[in-house]
Amino acid sequence: MSRERLEAGIIRILRISGLIFFAVIVAFPFYWMIVSSLKPLEDIVLSPANLGLHPGKVELGAYREVLFDHGFITYVFNSVYVSVATVVLSVTLAALGAYAVARLRFRGRAIMSYSILLIYMFPAIVLVIPLYVLFSRLALRDSIHVLILVYLAQTLPVALYMLRSYFQSLPEEIEYAGLMDGCTRFGVIWRIVLPLSAPALATVSLYSFMIAWNEFLFAFMFLDSPEKFTLSRGVVQLAGSVHLSKQLVMAASVMVTVPVLLLFLFFERHLVRGLTAGAMKG
Amino acid sequence: MPELILKGISKRFGKQEALCDVQLVVEDGEFCVLVGPSGCGKSTLLNVIAGLIPQDEGTVILEGRSIDRLSPRERDIAMVFQSYALYPHMTVAQNLGFGLRMRKVPKGTVRERVHEVARLLGIEDLLERKPRDLSGGQRQRVAMGRALVRRPKLFLLDEPLSNLDARLRANVRLELKRLHQEVRGTIVYVTHDQVEAMTLGDKVVVMRDGRIRQIGTPEAIYARPADTFVASFIGSPEMNLLRGRLAGEQGRLSFHGSGFSVELKGVQTELEEGEVEIGIRPEDLEIGSGADATIGATVEMVSDVGSEKYILARLGEETITLRAPKGKSVRAGTNIQLILNPAHIHIFRRGERVEASVG
Repeated sequence: MSRERLEAGIIRILRISGLIFFAVIVAFPFYWMIVSSLKPLEDIVLSPANLGLHPGKVELGAYREVLFDHGFITYVFNSVYVSVATVVLSVTLAALGAYAVARLRFRGRAIMSYSILLIYMFPAIVLVIPLYVLFSRLALRDSIHVLILVYLAQTLPVALYMLRSYFQSLPEEIEYAGLMDGCTRFGVIWRIVLPLSAPALATVSLYSFMIAWNEFLFAFMFLDSPEKFTLSRGVVQLAGSVHLSKQLVMAASVMVTVPVLLLFLFFERHLVRGLTAGAMKG
Repeated sequence: MPELILKGISKRFGKQEALCDVQLVVEDGEFCVLVGPSGCGKSTLLNVIAGLIPQDEGTVILEGRSIDRLSPRERDIAMVFQSYALYPHMTVAQNLGFGLRMRKVPKGTVRERVHEVARLLGIEDLLERKPRDLSGGQRQRVAMGRALVRRPKLFLLDEPLSNLDARLRANVRLELKRLHQEVRGTIVYVTHDQVEAMTLGDKVVVMRDGRIRQIGTPEAIYARPADTFVASFIGSPEMNLLRGRLAGEQGRLSFHGSGFSVELKGVQTELEEGEVEIGIRPEDLEIGSGADATIGATVEMVSDVGSEKYILARLGEETITLRAPKGKSVRAGTNIQLILNPAHIHIFRRGERVEASVG
């Protein structure tokens, strides 16, 4: 066998084993989580090493129990509310702000443009204690709306940054054409810029949703009343109670993970595709 | 009534002077071409008229009223962009109708006008397509159509043909001329291509460094260029500009260049002597013999373009270009005698034209 063929073979084996290794590392906990959530309790206790799932023995009881007996139906609703509100607000505010920084001329534009990401440099743990004190003093702490405000502060810098870059990449002449055709500046944004920015808007929406949906630290610190808990906060609460069976925790974890995964798969094909093809010269 | 009047338009970008005291009148129904090398301010001027860039000084008057304070939307001007700038998320029909829809024109009228314009431009079959499925020429038509459908007071065209390939460009140029004769709109057209300027324009405006150098009909600009820049910019091959000294003796004017002298028989000018440049267009030199053939030159190179020949020849220390008919046999290295009609000579002092007549 020639050295080249040997080398090609080795590279092939390394590549395949590498892929398998990482796929297992990523997928296994997830798989275990789903399987455990669907098994009866005694199966987990008796043979924890058994990774298989009998089709006949699939039980949704854990989900029912978590949702209705442990208040997760409220947590799901809270999480959806917080996440959707964060997405709507951050996309709206970021689109307007990013457009201003990308296209309009005003005093302080350069500083604005550069300082957007600077805000993002502060780690959450540095902010959480002063904010805890601040909102406690204002008696606003135990509130879902304050949580939305905090999430906005986290999503906006990146959202602004992404949208600004995208807006700058759009050909300005199309906007001029819109102005000549009789649009106001808002008309241009609404009828031309935003439709053309669909991929960027999808990306920003998904990003904001994931941040808000998965966030734990602020939810843990700020929320005291169980009826205001978000999902991630609820899972920790559940995991903390020692006398509860683990398959309930697994079912709750699945409920946290799966929506984001589905959203990602759904949006994925919209994320990259550019929409400006054909606008300009051939 | 003149359609568009520009009074003293100036614009700076930082320290860069983009436009300096531009004065221009465009008559109703006129095809006015702004021509100049890139960076001469012609596109900036177009954007000022459109209202996309505010001028620092001066006034834009459209149909007798100042439009300085109006937004682009309120000016009722249509513009065709160099890149076409079609809306990629809309069909051709939606692209064409967009301007009308924004102006609250009833739907039925929009549909009628869109079809009318599509018929005029021969793009009826494309109405349901998206811009990305069109060829360059088709996109160009849609861009034209989007302006035409609005029936605005004024059309602005910013190098609309520069993205087409050479053959298509010649066709569309002719079509544009036909379209203008049919529609009779007032047009301000920007180009860096002097052939486009000469063939399309009723009025040609030559610009350089933010200033207008000359305004006139294509014939006038070709026949009597105001300065050496216009002289060399308009016309292909370029006008020969030769540096030298003018000398007059008893009313007989002659020109002494580097390494050669030419008698300018019968030329009358206010200037009797001094440093000048003389300009001779390549077609005003003729290869000949006899008493009139007073200029001796050596052929350096012959380029045959089929319909005629361009001859590069050495005259003293200068190199000149002249045209010869296709049948003429000229070989590099040979000596030729040239006939110069003094009526076709251009004299420039410090770059500016000096009027001369032949008596």
